[in-house]
Amino acid sequence: MSQSILKISHLQKSFGQNHVLKDLDFSVRRGNVISIIGSSGSGKSTLLRCINLLETPDSGSIIYQNKDVLKASNSEVNAYRTRVGMVFQNFNLFSHLTVLKNCTLGLTSILKIKKDEAEKRASFYLQKVEMSAFVNAKPHQLSGGQKQRVAIARALAMEPEILLFDEPTSALDPQMVGEVLAVMSQLALEGLTMLVVTHEMAFAKEVSDEIIFMKDGIIWEQGKPNQLMQNPQRPETSEFLTRFRQC
Amino acid sequence: MEQFYLGLVKSWTRYGNSYLLGARNTLLISLVGTFFGCLIGFAVGVLRTLPISPKDKWQKRFLNRLLNIFLSTYVELFRGTPMIVQSVFIYYGARIAFNLSMSMWTAAFFIVSINTGAYMAETVRGGILSVDQGQTEGAKALGMNHSQTMFLVLLPQAFRNIIPQIGNNFIVNIKDTSVLSVISITDLFFVHKSVVGSLYLYFESATITMVIYLTMTTTAAWALRHLEGRLDGPQHYDLAAIDTLAQTSGLLSYKAKGEVGHD
Repeated sequence: MSQSILKISHLQKSFGQNHVLKDLDFSVRRGNVISIIGSSGSGKSTLLRCINLLETPDSGSIIYQNKDVLKASNSEVNAYRTRVGMVFQNFNLFSHLTVLKNCTLGLTSILKIKKDEAEKRASFYLQKVEMSAFVNAKPHQLSGGQKQRVAIARALAMEPEILLFDEPTSALDPQMVGEVLAVMSQLALEGLTMLVVTHEMAFAKEVSDEIIFMKDGIIWEQGKPNQLMQNPQRPETSEFLTRFRQC
Repeated sequence: MEQFYLGLVKSWTRYGNSYLLGARNTLLISLVGTFFGCLIGFAVGVLRTLPISPKDKWQKRFLNRLLNIFLSTYVELFRGTPMIVQSVFIYYGARIAFNLSMSMWTAAFFIVSINTGAYMAETVRGGILSVDQGQTEGAKALGMNHSQTMFLVLLPQAFRNIIPQIGNNFIVNIKDTSVLSVISITDLFFVHKSVVGSLYLYFESATITMVIYLTMTTTAAWALRHLEGRLDGPQHYDLAAIDTLAQTSGLLSYKAKGEVGHD
């Protein structure tokens, strides 16, 4: 049994009157791949953004290395973010930089790694996502799937302990979804700890160790993929899954 | 009509060098003024977009507030008054009020810089705000602090976006430095007035002056367009055939990714 590296308790978040996250509890164990599913507006993305502190939760705690990151100083938050990477729905590649520079910028500026070593490390991860041929391309010259793979390489180059994926394939057209999921399932096989918000049910079922089902800001069910998919305990879960299978 | 050509030739043969000297001075003041104006503009723009959250200490919020009032006063003051009045005000005013005599060249560089700065400040602020929010999030998610995000991610992109506006300011400066003749700067317009004073060939001299101004502004516009093109790079990257992973799309099984590698 591997230890838990991230523990979230009583997490709450509201935007004005809109109570988006209602008292969430769960923890992430080392090497685990957790998929978070649920319909739009259920708070999945907000949860992920709260974990990375792109949104500030109203209350609760996020314990990482025995410290509550919600009580951390700005510089501690930045250090925490280098350990907990994030891949966005819209890639968010730095559009003025080449593929290689996108991957080395964090290494040289934040981790203070020397340029040639940073380039070596970035090349290694670009190789992993099979984007080595594109090191000198600018983001606008790439397809959506390629952009997302570079974004994954950029996050990996920081060598984080946990990688958060916020609907990584939702902005891609169907043809390109496969290449990104291929990279992600490879990472899962290699033992990376991943938290994936996704609508790709097949991916969630095959690749993850655990699935969390969210609706209206509440975690209704959490369990092994087979059990949750085939034999959901909650009516809310089965309703969501049935609707999903219909379309 | 022949009279006109003769006048042109006369003005140019007698005072050609003076025109060129005036053009050089105009260009020099505009270049230096635009350059320092941009520096001022970037500094003000960056300071005015400092993030302030209600969680910060009240001292910090108070200082930020004060800074913002000071900077917006500067912007409004120099944007809201004509440069010709500013020139007289600063050049003669400094002498009378503070007994501070600066050379007219110092005054000229100062006035054009600070004037351009006031316009650029708003341009830069707009440029920074126009960069997609996702860029900030991408930088933050990597662990960058505000200044790293600003200087490594936002400003380079804002800079690219505001190059047309920098060009605009430069061109405006080439023309508007003509008002500096009120403090006896020998710019192109000053030369024109002097030539007219000695030869009484108004139309002819004005024609020459117009042509020189137009040459300078169009050259500047072309150079900036060229710079933009170089920053953007080519629009496509012809390597799609090398991307082996893209070919697996739709044929994918999640367990092994190498299954369909056919090369």
